[in-house]
Amino acid sequence: MSDTGGSLVELQNIHKWFGDLHVLKGIDVSIDPKQVVVVIGPSGSGKSTLLRCINVLEMPTQGKVIFDGEDITDIRTNVNKVRTHIGIVFQAYNLFPHKTVMQNITIALEKVLGVNGSEANDRAMEQLKRVGLEHKAQAHPGQLSGGQQQRVAIARALAMRPKLMLFDEVTSALDPELVKEVLDTMKQLAEEGMTMVIVTHEMGFAREVGTRLLFMDDGKILEDGEPRAIFENPGDDRCRDFLSHVL
Amino acid sequence: MIQGAVDQEQRTEEQERAPDVRGGTAPLPVSILAAGWGAIGLVIIGTVLLQVWYTFNGPALSSSICRTNPGLFRQVPQGTKIILKPIGGALGTCHIISALNSTAETVLLWLAAIVGIATVVAAFYFFRRMPTKRMREQVIAGGVLGSQAFLIALFVLWFRSGEGATRFANQFLNFDVLSGSVGSFVNGAKFTVMLAAGGELGGIILGLTLSLLALSGRKSVRAPARVYINFFRGTPLIWQLTVFYFGLAGLGLNLSAFQTGLLVFSLNTGAYSAEVFRAGIQSIERGQMEAARSLGMTYLQAMRYAIVPQAVRRVIPPLMNEFVILIKDTALVVVLGVVLSEREMFSVAQDGYASSANSTFYVAAAIGYLIITLPLIRLVTFVESRLRTGLTGIVGL
Repeated sequence: MSDTGGSLVELQNIHKWFGDLHVLKGIDVSIDPKQVVVVIGPSGSGKSTLLRCINVLEMPTQGKVIFDGEDITDIRTNVNKVRTHIGIVFQAYNLFPHKTVMQNITIALEKVLGVNGSEANDRAMEQLKRVGLEHKAQAHPGQLSGGQQQRVAIARALAMRPKLMLFDEVTSALDPELVKEVLDTMKQLAEEGMTMVIVTHEMGFAREVGTRLLFMDDGKILEDGEPRAIFENPGDDRCRDFLSHVL
Repeated sequence: MIQGAVDQEQRTEEQERAPDVRGGTAPLPVSILAAGWGAIGLVIIGTVLLQVWYTFNGPALSSSICRTNPGLFRQVPQGTKIILKPIGGALGTCHIISALNSTAETVLLWLAAIVGIATVVAAFYFFRRMPTKRMREQVIAGGVLGSQAFLIALFVLWFRSGEGATRFANQFLNFDVLSGSVGSFVNGAKFTVMLAAGGELGGIILGLTLSLLALSGRKSVRAPARVYINFFRGTPLIWQLTVFYFGLAGLGLNLSAFQTGLLVFSLNTGAYSAEVFRAGIQSIERGQMEAARSLGMTYLQAMRYAIVPQAVRRVIPPLMNEFVILIKDTALVVVLGVVLSEREMFSVAQDGYASSANSTFYVAAAIGYLIITLPLIRLVTFVESRLRTGLTGIVGL
């Protein structure tokens, strides 16, 4: 069911206020299946807020989010059900510290999707293998490195078999030597055809893996296009300024 | 070379430790420390041993022997004459006074006082002249212990000099008067613990529920919980007990004092532990709720599977502290007039005092409360340190 011309997500004129702070100032974007959208921009530009509006972790103050043909900003929509189709990975991992790696993944499968115990375990194991952590299934998050925790967080999101994956600065809290293992996992995921929206400061990764790049500043999207083209010849002044500072 | 190899081997066997840089010691600081310990040992352990010895081997207890000790009798005017009458309960404390006034105690106290003050003087003279940190600490510790021994010895010398010691012993240390009440105290301890444990259990269940209501984003849900919490936190426990006991009786609902205690302690603890749970839940990082919700959990599922289990671990120490407070607060049911078979410890002590006019019953109750609360207080410290080192936070409890 799709009345949005084949796009998976469509943001229509999104505005977000936190109190009197105007964070998003009219965002219009639609994302097609299998696109890997990379969002860059200076801190405070609204990148994370935009990402969190896509799974309505932040409800937009104005505007609509259409996901898979359904207006999920409509108050009658069951957002809990919608969120099972949208995986998100956070900067701070946000694993449940009181549960094992395995339980971190199976809890939502069992309690939200109603998958029975042994099948949930199988699905969790499948994702742990994908991120190369099947031997850590019985460990607690506190016993893992940051990179390993982040890969578990990715596995936890993937086990729900989402249609869309959101990544919110997932390598920003990692020590430099741990960044690569997480980026490699994401790259592999992109190659498998997952639709992804990635907020990141890793410019090399954005350029290499992204199929589309959004540059945001001051709550607006100022650039939208092919990553290589934008990196080589940014059309917007602020984008050029930003890239000259980070590259 | 060989030495190095041995060092290497030892290091792999045991965990490497930070070097001890406190330095060596010498006979002088060690003897000052020993003198300090000796002085305080004399006055405390010596006095205790003498008391024990007199308890078992002291003179047979009779009024004639007590009469030889000052302060065990009082002057009572009778007509025109004044006669001597033994003070009530004097027999039970006779040996305490005998031991305090014995020659052995005198020798002990003077010795402790002299050694103590000598240690203080030596410590003051030497502590700045010590070449290492360890020596200085030993000298200072010896001096402090010596000063404590000196003060205690002086106090005991003064204390036993008049009639005050006898009066004090009669009033507070006359353990003979307890002889028929030991069973009552044990039973009282049982009811104290039952009241506190029942109240805490009810309070925790009620408190967790209230905290979830109080954390609701909807004012209409929050308001009743806040009213309840503020009411029970804002009125005296003794008022609540009284009103529930007599008020409910007036409405035709006859609860025993014990039942009223259970009910009111649950209601009251519910209010306090609601605040503890609320703080615990609010202390869980926002990301935990976001992670749970983004996996499709409802608010209540997120609370149940992600937030509350973590919050409960964090609030165990404050809840245990509250339990200790509640153990002591159970004494308040005494105002309701507890029936004989359901008396808790303080009621037992109160009744004992009422029939004997002797405060030793209160001393016994204090000892009883301490026997229950001190291990709990130690346990709280232990759990807190485990939580602080993160052991409890990560893997189970």
